[in-house]
Amino acid sequence: MSTTEETIKDIVVKIVHCEREVLTPESTFQDMKADSLDMVQVLVALEDEFGIEIPDEDAQKFKNFSDFVTYVEARIAEKK
Amino acid sequence: MLRGKVALVTGSSRGIGRAIALKLAKEGADIIINFFRRREAAEQTAEDIEKLGVTAKVIRANVGNPEKIDEMFDTILSSFGHLDILVNNAASGLPRSALDLDTKVWEWTMDINARALLLCAQRAVKLMEGRGGKIVAITSLGSSLVWPGYIAIGVSKATLEALTRYLAIELAPKNICVNAVGASLVPTEVGLAYARGGQLGDDSTWQTTPAGRMVSPEDIANVVAFLCSEEAFMIRGQTVIVDGGTSSAPFGFTHKGEGD
Ligand SMILES: NC(=O)c1ccc[n+]([C@@H]2O[C@H](COP(=O)([O-])OP(=O)(O)OC[C@H]3O[C@@H](n4cnc5c(N)ncnc54)[C@H](OP(=O)(O)O)[C@@H]3O)[C@@H](O)[C@H]2O)c1
Repeated sequence: MSTTEETIKDIVVKIVHCEREVLTPESTFQDMKADSLDMVQVLVALEDEFGIEIPDEDAQKFKNFSDFVTYVEARIAEKK
Repeated sequence: MLRGKVALVTGSSRGIGRAIALKLAKEGADIIINFFRRREAAEQTAEDIEKLGVTAKVIRANVGNPEKIDEMFDTILSSFGHLDILVNNAASGLPRSALDLDTKVWEWTMDINARALLLCAQRAVKLMEGRGGKIVAITSLGSSLVWPGYIAIGVSKATLEALTRYLAIELAPKNICVNAVGASLVPTEVGLAYARGGQLGDDSTWQTTPAGRMVSPEDIANVVAFLCSEEAFMIRGQTVIVDGGTSSAPFGFTHKGEGD
């Protein structure tokens, strides 16, 4: 598992207060029991952590946890 | 006319903020468009504003975060050097009842809707020093009337209106006019989502006003532009209600004309 993925998990667990085990690549926001405010706060925390921007236009396409990780990794790679 | 003036409209990527930005641009002001999540919408607004022959600058900042407010004002300082108009329009919140309102939603809503005016005003005043300015906050009838599920936002708007009065008096000697514009339901994305959430009853209960139609974003923008004009110089610390008469008609508005 990549360190990026670990960091994302840390952030989701902290904000959504879900169990870490819930976060598999397929888990959806319903699985995480995240409401819309949780979601925005997760996105903002990821932006601050990785120094990237995740506009709503992109975030709306995320369906599960692995979409998050793939997107964040791609944006980090773009920055380098 | 606002030619040569610089105006910041928070939350102006879409909705009422966008209408205010366009109106002030039509009056000749250069516009700083602030947004949080929707970059494409903000850039579209900037493009539409530049077609009016003024400058538009897009700055992303979550106004709920003091550091981001500071960064936004640092950018305004370096790009424009001063500011003439601050419109505190950005708002957020979630439907809750009093018994379900947790500290997370409370803080989120208060920080974005109310504290942001204080922090933006503190920075804006420095950029208005020696030249005067106008500050207008956008508020809602839900600050004094009870709207279903609206407690978090309603309470934050009541704070915003109190803040408006305090700022108006403290900033009066600096030649800065501070006022608020309060709206009833306006059919923007959030306005419609709230109304269609079902809590307001069927469509006919909210789709009109005694004035015969809903309040539009442009109705709000017109009053903001007036408050930013010299003609409004003696209006201080007020909340001007733009609601087509709704708040004066608690029993509804079924008047059909003379003799009915
Ligand atoms: N619509 C109504 O029925 C109604 C009634 C009474 C009062 N109002 C007031 O009118 C104002 C505008 O409402 P609206 O209906 O136009 O809302 P809207 O369509 O939801 O637009 C909200 C705007 O605020 C921005 N925003 C949200 N959170 C922000 C944050 N944390 N930092 C910076 N910008 C943020 C949004 O940016 P993004 O596009 O980037 O998300 C967007 O530009 C608000 O103060 C609202 O309370 C509205």
